[in-house]
Amino acid sequence: MPAPTPRVQVPASVAKGALFPIKTLIDHPMETGLRRDANGQPIPRKIINEFVCRYDGAVVFRVELHEAVSANPYIEFALRATKSGRLDFVWTEDGGAVFALKHDLVVA
Amino acid sequence: MVEKTSATGVTRRTVLGTIVGGGAGLATGRLSTQGLAAPAAIDEAVALVQELTGKTPTVSDRVRLSMPAHFANGYTVPLTLTVASPMTDADHVRRVIVLAPRNPIVTVASFHFVPLRSEPRIATRIRLAEAQDVLALAEMNDGALLMARMHVDVATNGCE
Repeated sequence: MPAPTPRVQVPASVAKGALFPIKTLIDHPMETGLRRDANGQPIPRKIINEFVCRYDGAVVFRVELHEAVSANPYIEFALRATKSGRLDFVWTEDGGAVFALKHDLVVA
Repeated sequence: MVEKTSATGVTRRTVLGTIVGGGAGLATGRLSTQGLAAPAAIDEAVALVQELTGKTPTVSDRVRLSMPAHFANGYTVPLTLTVASPMTDADHVRRVIVLAPRNPIVTVASFHFVPLRSEPRIATRIRLAEAQDVLALAEMNDGALLMARMHVDVATNGCE
């Protein structure tokens, strides 16, 4: 399986104090651990189990994902613009692998 | 691995066992509330939430759960959720939990918010095994648990 590719969509610039949307997507099978392979053997669980968004280092939004989040997890959420700064997005997979993206937010 | 998953998550079997096991005790309680026309589906949802969280949820229109009533593909059912809240330090939503009571693993996801920084409005896509009432629970900073539910019918089992 190729390494999951995370993607985020953030507005180019946002007004101070405004609420702005963030759309995130990562391609990942979200294997539930409930399925069996052709030989009847259980396929081990491997899901993205956490997503965290930090704004200038502070956690501002976090999700615990379980098996019933669809493959290629899509999460849309909303943050309050305080000042220009760095947004960090981190997805954690079962077993501890992490996939990350960053974005420099411009607050006008 | 399947066994491990079952041990860490809440399975449909434990939930059904709890509801069935609690049935005898609930029966007498129901007799006295028959005149209140509380639908059995709400009782069932409340019992499930009490079992999972130890708290009694209040059905509230401050929690808006929006999903299609009928959806062909159980693998990827769209879900949007908002909670009406000022999101101040004194009055905010701590987290929102989404439950699918008739899925093999009931808890779908929990979303954690930070006052003044994030708003309780999210969209995602989830798997549903069969037609059921999806539940959204908003845990407020004062500990109150607000609930909304939405009946969703799916044509294909998204959990196989």
